[in-house]
Amino acid sequence: MSAIALEAHGLVKRFKTGRSYVEVLKGVDFQALHGDVTMVMGPSGSGKSTLVAALSGLLRPDSGMVSALDQKLWDLKPGRIDRFRLDHCGFIFQGFNLFSALSALQQVAVVLKYKGYSKSEARDRAELALTEVGLGHRLNQRPAELSGGEKQRVAIARALAKDPQLLFADEPTSALDGENGQVVTRLLQRAAKQHGAAVICVTHDPRLEAFADRIIHIEDGLILDDRRVRPAVIPTTPDLIGA
Amino acid sequence: MSLALATLIHEWRRYLAAVIALAFSGLLILAQVGMFTGIVKGATATIDRSRADLMIMPPKMESLINSGSSALPRRIQPLLYMHPEVAEVASFDGDGARWTNRPEPGKKAVTTFVQVNMVDTRAGAVTLPTDYSETVRLALMEPYAIAIDRTALKRLGVKLGDAAALNGRTVRVRAILDGYPDINQASVVISRDTMRMLGMGEKSDKTGPLMVRLKDPSRTEIVRDQLNANAKGAYRAWTRPELAKANEGALMQEQIIGIFLGFSVFLGFLIGVGITSQTLRGAILANIKEFASLRALGVSMGSLRLVVVELSFWVGVVGLAATALFTFGVYLLAQSGGMPMGFPIPWVVGVAILLLTISLASGLMALGILKHSQPADLLR
Repeated sequence: MSAIALEAHGLVKRFKTGRSYVEVLKGVDFQALHGDVTMVMGPSGSGKSTLVAALSGLLRPDSGMVSALDQKLWDLKPGRIDRFRLDHCGFIFQGFNLFSALSALQQVAVVLKYKGYSKSEARDRAELALTEVGLGHRLNQRPAELSGGEKQRVAIARALAKDPQLLFADEPTSALDGENGQVVTRLLQRAAKQHGAAVICVTHDPRLEAFADRIIHIEDGLILDDRRVRPAVIPTTPDLIGA
Repeated sequence: MSLALATLIHEWRRYLAAVIALAFSGLLILAQVGMFTGIVKGATATIDRSRADLMIMPPKMESLINSGSSALPRRIQPLLYMHPEVAEVASFDGDGARWTNRPEPGKKAVTTFVQVNMVDTRAGAVTLPTDYSETVRLALMEPYAIAIDRTALKRLGVKLGDAAALNGRTVRVRAILDGYPDINQASVVISRDTMRMLGMGEKSDKTGPLMVRLKDPSRTEIVRDQLNANAKGAYRAWTRPELAKANEGALMQEQIIGIFLGFSVFLGFLIGVGITSQTLRGAILANIKEFASLRALGVSMGSLRLVVVELSFWVGVVGLAATALFTFGVYLLAQSGGMPMGFPIPWVVGVAILLLTISLASGLMALGILKHSQPADLLR
């Protein structure tokens, strides 16, 4: 496995507004390493979410190249991109997007079942992932019975349970209070350090900077600065969940 | 438990409109089928509950419902005794007659046409329905005695013991029957002797259809085939269940009823699909972010479509259960009002298939809404 998990060159994305086009990404180059927490920071409208969407295979860029885990992502067919995300990508959103009908355990297990695990395997892995985020005692609670922090932890468990090598987080803490925000941030960090995932976190929460290995500032569709806070440590053998 | 089923159970209020729409679509059709079948049942109850194993009818007659003259040449009756297993043959004569009551002062006079059915009053006679009590049988032995179902008393403007007129000849209500309601046309039961005295029934060289009792009822179908093989086109033998089914089928093919039912099916389908698909769309839209997050995590669009189709299937199943419940309620209501209802299996199966088709069609129509589940929209 190469140290570079995700690489992009010359990403351009335009959106049509009325008769004119707004260029949201103006030729962005990007790189993320395994085991790193990379923060993408910038004011709203700076294009950071669009960048993440293009990097993760959710939104096709107008030009540019994304190489994720040594695969040219946008050369794949849509079905293959779905499969790639299923196999390798985790997502954490600002709104937790949990099915109100499902218990914490079911939320996580549903995704695992789509990944091809058997019912009991999915259950076991889901339980493990929820225990890892500190929800071992809340397995059968539905979202309505969970606090905001707990909901985000369920969402994190859902993203981590399939052991992704790329973890995308979009403002994961902005709906949470300080304490829960810290818990969530630590979980992201652990995903990077213990599981060797490349964590790409979009935020404008300055509190998160302390946890980053690398901070990228983006504004008006261009990267302003890219600085490494901590030296890169490449885990040689990633510790896999349940492995 | 699957995602679809869990969602349906947890958010049942959201799906209630669809379930009720389906239930009423089903009820709309089944209640009519039940009513029309009930009319047939009422009209042929005297035959259905008789001791006859076989019915002999003219060869081209396809049922007892609007299928031409049921008269047979009188020579057929002795002919049937040629078969060694035939125990008893009797003709089932019937007629229509003008009914006039004798109203008490201040009551309304009733003049209407009634169906006149006939039974033999000898104990154990083949034409005598098995559920007639001994008192009814004895009462009908009296000349000019008639028996009427309890539900027809009011309609005919009489009570037990009253005199009335059939085609201008005086008869007396001597017995009340239970379980012979007929919402189509009131019917009156008399003995064969009374029928003769009233000058009704088939005359000269004709008889009505023949009822045949066999020595061994378990050989009914074999004897039917043997009789038919020897009929040379003069008659056709039917088993009782066979005839009952043909009667039901014939009524459903009546043009006006066909139009009623066809229109109901069409309307039920339209209402069902309209409401169910809108409900499903709303319910899916309410969960669209959750679906989008599944998409982001790599669950394919095909898998999500399957979730929606499964969801609509379960809505259909629940709707079916609600239909059963509603229809049973209507059935009980009808029974308490003395109106017989029947639910032929093919129609019940057909409505079940229709409801599942409606819900699946609605699900397919709601699939388009999944296009809104753009995971990129979740990133803001």
